Amino acid sequence: MGRRKKIVQECERLMDEPENIRNIAIAAHVDHGKTTLSDNLLAGAGMISDETAGEQLAMDTEEDEQERGITIDAANVSMTHEYEDTNHLINLIDTPGHVDFGGDVTRAMRAVDGALVVVDAVEGAMPQTETVLRQALREGVKPTLFINKVDRLISELQEGPEEMQQRLLSVIHDVNELIRGMTQDMDDIDDWTVSVEEGTVGFGSALYKWGVSMPSMQRTGMDFGEIMDLERNDKRQELHERTPLSDVVLDMVCEHFPNPVDAQPMRIPRIWRGDDESDLAETMRLVDEDGEVVFMVTDIAMDPHAGEVASGRVFSGSLEKGQELYVSGTAGKNRVQSVGIYMGGEREEVDHVPAGNIAAVTGLRDAIAGSTVSSIEMTPFESIEHISEPVITKSVEAQTMDDLPKLIETLRQVSKEDPTIQITINEDTGEHLISGQGELHLEVITQRIEKNQGIPVNTGEPIVVYREQPQQPSDEIEGISPNRHNRFYVSIEPMPDELVETIKMGEASMDMPEQERREALQEAGMHKDDSQEVEHIHGTNILIDDTKGIQHLNETMELVIEGFEDALDNGPLANEPVQGTLIRLHDARLHEDTIHRGPAQVIPATRNALHKALIDGKIKLLEPMQDARIDVPNDHMGAASGEIQGRRGRVDDMYQEGDLMVVEGVAPVGEMIGFASDIRSATEGRASWNTENAGFEVMSDSLQREKIMEIRERKGMKLELPPSIDYI
Amino acid sequence: MLTFIGLGLYDERSITVEGQEALRAADRAYAEFYTSRLIGTDVESLESHHDTPIEVRDREGVEQHPEDVLEAAETEDVAFLTAGDTMISTTHVDLRLRAHERGIETRVLHGVTAQTATSSLTGLQNYRFGKATTLPFPYAHGADGLPESVTETLEDNRERGLHTVVYLDIKIGAEARRSPREDVEDEEYMTADVGAELLADEYPDLTGVVVARAGSPDPQVAAGRLEELATRDFGDPLHLLVVPGELHLLEADALVELAGADREALEVV
Repeated sequence: MGRRKKIVQECERLMDEPENIRNIAIAAHVDHGKTTLSDNLLAGAGMISDETAGEQLAMDTEEDEQERGITIDAANVSMTHEYEDTNHLINLIDTPGHVDFGGDVTRAMRAVDGALVVVDAVEGAMPQTETVLRQALREGVKPTLFINKVDRLISELQEGPEEMQQRLLSVIHDVNELIRGMTQDMDDIDDWTVSVEEGTVGFGSALYKWGVSMPSMQRTGMDFGEIMDLERNDKRQELHERTPLSDVVLDMVCEHFPNPVDAQPMRIPRIWRGDDESDLAETMRLVDEDGEVVFMVTDIAMDPHAGEVASGRVFSGSLEKGQELYVSGTAGKNRVQSVGIYMGGEREEVDHVPAGNIAAVTGLRDAIAGSTVSSIEMTPFESIEHISEPVITKSVEAQTMDDLPKLIETLRQVSKEDPTIQITINEDTGEHLISGQGELHLEVITQRIEKNQGIPVNTGEPIVVYREQPQQPSDEIEGISPNRHNRFYVSIEPMPDELVETIKMGEASMDMPEQERREALQEAGMHKDDSQEVEHIHGTNILIDDTKGIQHLNETMELVIEGFEDALDNGPLANEPVQGTLIRLHDARLHEDTIHRGPAQVIPATRNALHKALIDGKIKLLEPMQDARIDVPNDHMGAASGEIQGRRGRVDDMYQEGDLMVVEGVAPVGEMIGFASDIRSATEGRASWNTENAGFEVMSDSLQREKIMEIRERKGMKLELPPSIDYI
Repeated sequence: MLTFIGLGLYDERSITVEGQEALRAADRAYAEFYTSRLIGTDVESLESHHDTPIEVRDREGVEQHPEDVLEAAETEDVAFLTAGDTMISTTHVDLRLRAHERGIETRVLHGVTAQTATSSLTGLQNYRFGKATTLPFPYAHGADGLPESVTETLEDNRERGLHTVVYLDIKIGAEARRSPREDVEDEEYMTADVGAELLADEYPDLTGVVVARAGSPDPQVAAGRLEELATRDFGDPLHLLVVPGELHLLEADALVELAGADREALEVV
């Protein structure tokens, strides 16, 4: 391991020179070849042997990843690369492309300054390409493009030079259209489109380990014709040796991605809401390794020996063993037990990790993915915006009671590692419920519990997560406490979509300074007066306090909120979460003495008032939808579109793309359960497909009652609705 | 007929004779003990002493589902029992009004309450008290530190020279199970030292008067600086605190003699 040790030493030396550091992520649609590309880069940097690159999938460290051949967690690795006579340290995060694991992608983006977007030359830009691009750009991460699987155009599709050029240009065009559309409203980004001439586009084959770009062709003197000859005549090894993929891509990384010193001044205002005049803001902009420590955790992983390992980006100061650091959202401090960097699937301990790097830290027991860890108390980084909400739930229980404590610990762990997973306990049955992004997401999580922790579990059928939302404004409703001494006057109205979106994206939250929140809400269309009276935001619901000078309301407000939250988490139709509701508290009458307006009085009063108001606002059930895209040969097209239509779905578009037909449509998540095996058999395995969560839609009137009753029955609720719900 | 009967302060013998006669004559008796309870006895002893079964209702059973109590009172003589007096502290006036809505006749048979016992034991004059307040357990209210209602009541009263009775929180049944203390099962009583400690956070130097076990055979009255009271042990519950305002000469004499107050520390007018 002499070579490995040398690399570690070189990395340690380079860590202190932020100008020579590049923090990058590779992001792409599923199966477009990210992980194979990553392995190429590792091999090029001498981290794994040349022969095994492409087969080894060094970054797929979990057994299930190697079995499934897809990447599930974002993995981290550091490597060195010499560019223009200077050695560079490249910290790389590989991200999953499957839609079910979108949370990992978003988190990875926060830690890096550049995103290498990989697109399959044959398939072109796909829905997930769009999603990862959006995730990168929203975080202020600069994109470059690598078009993979060019060998297939040459050898498999036998395309001529012109045809091929057409195809590559159209991929670049599509990607640039996306970038342009997503950045046009971003004032801090001028032009991040990619171009062959500037060298921000590379082509090649990760499988056969060759790649080219405009600068590389100038350097090696090879032109496209020569490349096509070599590829066509199966001289791929020669191709690899003369124009290795890793050099082309890593040169592109060093040349076109910003180093932390250039990136942080632009990214800090984008991702941090603290006072930009403060010393702390200055040290972060300067990437000052002598400043206060600021570390943003993007991932928590479990190491069998070291316990929880938090990885993320050091924005300021230096992480060292023994430091006592604050963890946002928790009291007290955590002590750093070790700091390290990533080499392949393994962690290497080092003495310190300075600003500008990706670090791996143990000892931060209170940290979760998304925490801000710092040596002084500070405004945390805004909560990481998750594009997807959980849409599907499964119950898990240990097969033997003895495993229960271990299962609870493991579930706690799982939700720390992956905040897109939610763990709840069914109060009535004591079952643990685990919610996530899709069927596969949950399947992977439960398999990990069984395999890695060795806990045999029983899991329930997947259950879809619904929402409830009022359809019109309600009248003012009175809520009376059980002792009748306290009264609350409440009305609700559905919130405009723009406002809901603003909250969902975390652009307005209770964590941010009041002035900023007001401005964000006003910008999303909220009336100025209302924006000043926002008392609370819960989910995508807002509470506005319209009362004036009511004695004792201040000290009661926490209970009022608790009652409202309870009512929102468990809607009046089927105990499903309520979304997009604006609640107004108009007036309140309170008992003189705290004891007579305690939790037992205020919570039921406000909960009941809100439920009545929601019913008065004609609340209805919403179901989660999925966009589906199926690529299928012509003669199976009917079967493919039938699979969507047969699931209460709607086919929006069908068109030819290359030699395949593309069917695009949308269907309810609930009906999409089992889609994978059904589409396989319906098309004799000839279809490839992709699904993406597409938000919630009101269910049709004819299905409302039936679905509500089904959910109520499942939850053991009364099978009759309150008589006031007469509109369903 | 619905008869509200106060059971008084301590045990089965604290009821008035009139109350006892009415209870024994009733067809049915309901009681609530979530507001307070008789420390010196339990429900079984009450039942055997008065030779009548008593159905105990929790808060929900009184506030949200009193229909069967009312229904019974339409045709029978029903007694509704609480510790102390039925219309002080948790006022059951709401239940009385609901009975009236149904055309049920009602009457109130008074019991001795902590409020009058406080005057009696401390010598502080009934005329010189301002609004009373309850000091809740910190986990039972939403404020940081003392709730405003407590501080405002205390300060308003003191500005006007008036005494303040500070009732100390009692949690019984489901409410007690919200307590963060692990040794708490079904009941949790705030003791005077704990109450004094909470108040001393804001008013360390104010004088407080502890009234412990009013109505029992061994009541205790003790005066001192709140900070000092916080360090003492006043024995079994129930306890309450008084924060005196300006004192009349005789009130001061009584606190010195009956509660061991330091005369120098009292504000005498």
